[in-house]
Amino acid sequence: MAEQKPKIILQTEGLPDQHSLKTYVEKVNGYTAARKVLGGMSREQVIEEVKQAGLRGRGGAGFLTGLKWSFVPKDITGPKYLICNNDESEPGTFKDRYLCITNPHQVIEGMIIAAYAIGANKGYIYTRWEYQEEIRYLENAIKEAYDAGLLGKNLFGSGFDFDLDHYTGAGAYICGEETGLISSLEGKKGQPKVKPPFPAVSGYLSRPTIVNNTETLANVPWIINNGAKAFRQFGTEKSPGTKLFSISGALNKPGVYEVPLGYPFASLLNIEAGGMQPGRTLKALIPGGASAPVLTPAECEGLTMDFEAMAQRNTMLGSGAVMVIDDRQSMAELLKVTIEFFAHESCGQCTPCREGTGWLNNIMDGIMDRSAKPDNIARLGSVARNMGGKTICALSDACAMPVMSYVQKFSGELQAYLAAGSGGHSK
Amino acid sequence: MSTETVTFNLNDRDITVPKGTTVMEAAHKHNVYIPHFCWHPGLSIAGVCRFCLVKVDNRPKLEIACNLQATPGMKVSTLLPEVKEAHKWALEFHLVNHPLDCPICDQAGECKLQDFYMEVGKYKSEMDRPKVLKPKALDVGSELVLDTERCILCDRCVRFEQEVTKTGALGIFNRGDRAVVGTYPDKKIEHNYQDNLVDICPVGAFTSRDFRFKQRVWFLKDQPAVCPGCSTGCHVKVYGKPQVRTYFRVKPQESEVNGHWMCDVGRKTYKHLNQDQRLRFAVAADGKGGRQRVSVAEAIASLALQLQGVAASDIALLVSPQYTCEEYDALFAFFVKKLGVSKVFQWREPTENLDAFDGLLYRGDHNPNTFGLSEALAKAGLPKDVKNGFEDLARSGAKVVVALAPEIEFQFPSLAGQLQKLSELAFVSVWTTSGSAYNVKGLRHLVPLKGFAEKKGTFRNFQGKVGELAKPFPAAVDEAKDVVEVVTALAEVWAHA
Amino acid sequence: MATGIIKVAPPPEDKNLFQMAYGYASTIFSGMWKTLTIFLKQITGREKTNTLEWPEQPATYSDRFKGKHFLTRRDDGQVRCTACFLCATACPAECIHIVAGQHPTNEIEKFPVRFEIDILRCVFCGFCEEACPVDAIRLGPEYAMAGAAGDKWVYTKDYLADRGQLHGGVVSVKEENTKHFTVDHEASGDNLLATDAPHMRHH
Repeated sequence: MAEQKPKIILQTEGLPDQHSLKTYVEKVNGYTAARKVLGGMSREQVIEEVKQAGLRGRGGAGFLTGLKWSFVPKDITGPKYLICNNDESEPGTFKDRYLCITNPHQVIEGMIIAAYAIGANKGYIYTRWEYQEEIRYLENAIKEAYDAGLLGKNLFGSGFDFDLDHYTGAGAYICGEETGLISSLEGKKGQPKVKPPFPAVSGYLSRPTIVNNTETLANVPWIINNGAKAFRQFGTEKSPGTKLFSISGALNKPGVYEVPLGYPFASLLNIEAGGMQPGRTLKALIPGGASAPVLTPAECEGLTMDFEAMAQRNTMLGSGAVMVIDDRQSMAELLKVTIEFFAHESCGQCTPCREGTGWLNNIMDGIMDRSAKPDNIARLGSVARNMGGKTICALSDACAMPVMSYVQKFSGELQAYLAAGSGGHSK
Repeated sequence: MSTETVTFNLNDRDITVPKGTTVMEAAHKHNVYIPHFCWHPGLSIAGVCRFCLVKVDNRPKLEIACNLQATPGMKVSTLLPEVKEAHKWALEFHLVNHPLDCPICDQAGECKLQDFYMEVGKYKSEMDRPKVLKPKALDVGSELVLDTERCILCDRCVRFEQEVTKTGALGIFNRGDRAVVGTYPDKKIEHNYQDNLVDICPVGAFTSRDFRFKQRVWFLKDQPAVCPGCSTGCHVKVYGKPQVRTYFRVKPQESEVNGHWMCDVGRKTYKHLNQDQRLRFAVAADGKGGRQRVSVAEAIASLALQLQGVAASDIALLVSPQYTCEEYDALFAFFVKKLGVSKVFQWREPTENLDAFDGLLYRGDHNPNTFGLSEALAKAGLPKDVKNGFEDLARSGAKVVVALAPEIEFQFPSLAGQLQKLSELAFVSVWTTSGSAYNVKGLRHLVPLKGFAEKKGTFRNFQGKVGELAKPFPAAVDEAKDVVEVVTALAEVWAHA
Repeated sequence: MATGIIKVAPPPEDKNLFQMAYGYASTIFSGMWKTLTIFLKQITGREKTNTLEWPEQPATYSDRFKGKHFLTRRDDGQVRCTACFLCATACPAECIHIVAGQHPTNEIEKFPVRFEIDILRCVFCGFCEEACPVDAIRLGPEYAMAGAAGDKWVYTKDYLADRGQLHGGVVSVKEENTKHFTVDHEASGDNLLATDAPHMRHH
């Protein structure tokens, strides 16, 4: 791992007019990768390059991108679609919005290459409605690209057409789930679909569809330009490349930082984020968004920011939303906020999630107003344990796993919260 | 459809099914029960209840059987402890916000939640928090009552509205545990298939307004029959409580003719069988210009007397196409073959539109056995074309008329007028199930008949398919007989006269 | 003599006529003497009789006594019974006849329009009381149920809920649903008819 901080994704960060097409083309070789791909690489070559690079999805699941692209059936006729999942709703994540404001054209270029690789002529960027400013930047970038002939028909004279539309959500976390997003795009309720069939085979309008995260797509141009081997120079063997981390909490410099995967957490905390504010100590760490199990300070010893290290600690790298919880935070209140989020956002289709998230929220309300019996804390754990692994999408697991981790690691504090105030009378 | 088959192992049993069959469908065909709520053989796959979980090979996660295509050599188990534990919690989640409505809910006794609770039960519930409350007892259609709190959001009703009736009148609104099923603002369900929603709803969310609170289902007995409402001849089950001689409802039975459904019109065909609608005893002339109650045997005897007093050409039959083939055969064997009667007319509704069809099941021919009657007429050497013969009867100058009245009167608006006209004839014997003939004072010879659910026989539907009335209920009226019995008795008296 | 033979009492000896007559007369005499002594003792008050001088002395039974049925009431005076038919189903004598109906208020929904017990068939087993999920029917302490042949032997709902001896009716306390909690749909932002743009939830 090199000491230099490579800029694979945020290449234009800090440059004047960083988001403009002019800066992107002139200062960081913008759109040369797309030209290279459309100028003579075959689809298989592109997919192979990305596979060799070992790029993993940056939206939370960490699935190998090249592998996902290879699931699209090759020898069928009819439209295929590429969708950029810009519905960044995982609590604590704000890296994609930063990317949209800083370097939107890299996303567009990544989409052109990805669309070519899977044989799609139509792409959508699905951004959450709340990101009004980011939507403006993206739509502006798309317009710039169309005006320059970088989107539309016959790109670079190759005969490849690619149309890109922008579409906004309407306030639902569940539309960040790929099939939920597809349902929303189809004009239906944003409810995830049962899999199989998988989107790569039958997705948007029952056509082969690939849904990739914004950051994932932004990695692609650099990989094409510099090669898979160069990409693998950064990061670890199983988690190559760099990642945007949105680190927040009582820090001196919270924000979005691009660091190689495998970067030590201590460095991210103390160097990039400038360390904790004076007088504050680390109480807990949520490494990958609200759906990641919480880590105690002891577990953060020697922690590196990559998929395997996180998995080893029974948590997840997720979207890279690092939430640093300081000593002032009541874990009971934090758990309540987390559970309430998932209960509010559950789409309500399948029973374990719908009823489970609601039940967890209900129990948590009882703990918050101290009307619950002491055994309710253990019940949080047993309900969560039985919610997971049986649902259409992963929201149920996303709620269950953190709850189990809180009950496991902070049950003392939860008990104390319940017992304190009003004598803790039970219902 | 390809004829390729797949063999896989279900609970240690090798099963072979056509390629593309799901595990749930295969289990359904081979009588292996996989508990489920949202799957229905007549609707598309939803996969939302997450109850039909099964263990497949060595996969770490349980899979839902309804969306799992059978692959060769797959090993599926529904009996492992892991699967049973999953079922327990799946049921617990379904019951978390379900109201304790069993005492007031009509579905009790045929409720899937109750059934699974007994079978799978996590008997000690861990839910001790206040439940989510939702609107109850809503009027969403003329035949329905909707209770959104009881709804387990299995989505069957929504899919039914979209796929079967193609009206799309229902939707699920809101997210999470606030989700409610309902109709769109100011809109109701307005079609002829509302009661099917009651059938497919696994819990008491949709209940039948007609059946509301009338009876507990465990007191009811059901027998298979064929709906007499129209010429489609849907296979049905009639539900009644024989101890009190009362019928309560009709539900469809799955068959090739009607799939899984029946229309709401046919659901009403039990009402005329109840005692308050029936002709309870035979009636004959009292010799003083009036009429009196007599036994069936006496009525038959007086009819035989009337028949003997005239020539065959003065006798006419007015026959409704709502009787069974066996009854027609017996009738014609006696009257046509033995007596030589040739004046046989069909008693049909003059305003009927035979070509009407609502696109799903209900046809314009509101008689179950037009086909059977035509066949019987042809067999007896009589003209078999479908034609209302009431006017012809009036012109025929017959002196003695034997009339078999239509059983289903609510689809026969002209009936009252026709009965009145009949009473003006010289001598008419009306054989009927219904008491409305008794209300016409001029009809002085009446024989009580059994309803369709009370006799054995067959109907033939518009395509000629045979529908069997195989298991009759005991007649709600003691004196009632079926036409075969009446004709046999008549022939007996005739032979000895 | 084989082993395993059990000793039994010796067979009765044949009695002569005098012995038989004596035995017959002596037992009759001793029985009558017993009756006479008890009678004289009791009539002079030296010994207490077990006879209860009913109706001057009332009979006392335990709390578990199963007497005449009564229907309990809710706080507002309506009968508690929800016409679920469990008592009718459980009854081994099939003597309970109920006709259910739609209640005018939606809170109650189902109530018995008619509730009749054919008391001559009833065996007072108490299964109905056990089966009832809402404590609507109980077998009470009244035991005096004699009457004439032409009397009404079918107890109707009014009689069961409202007769004089009940002194205005017995209220049963039963939590049916936890209906005293409601979900505030407005606050959770999930208004069915919401036409506002979606907003972030703030805490």
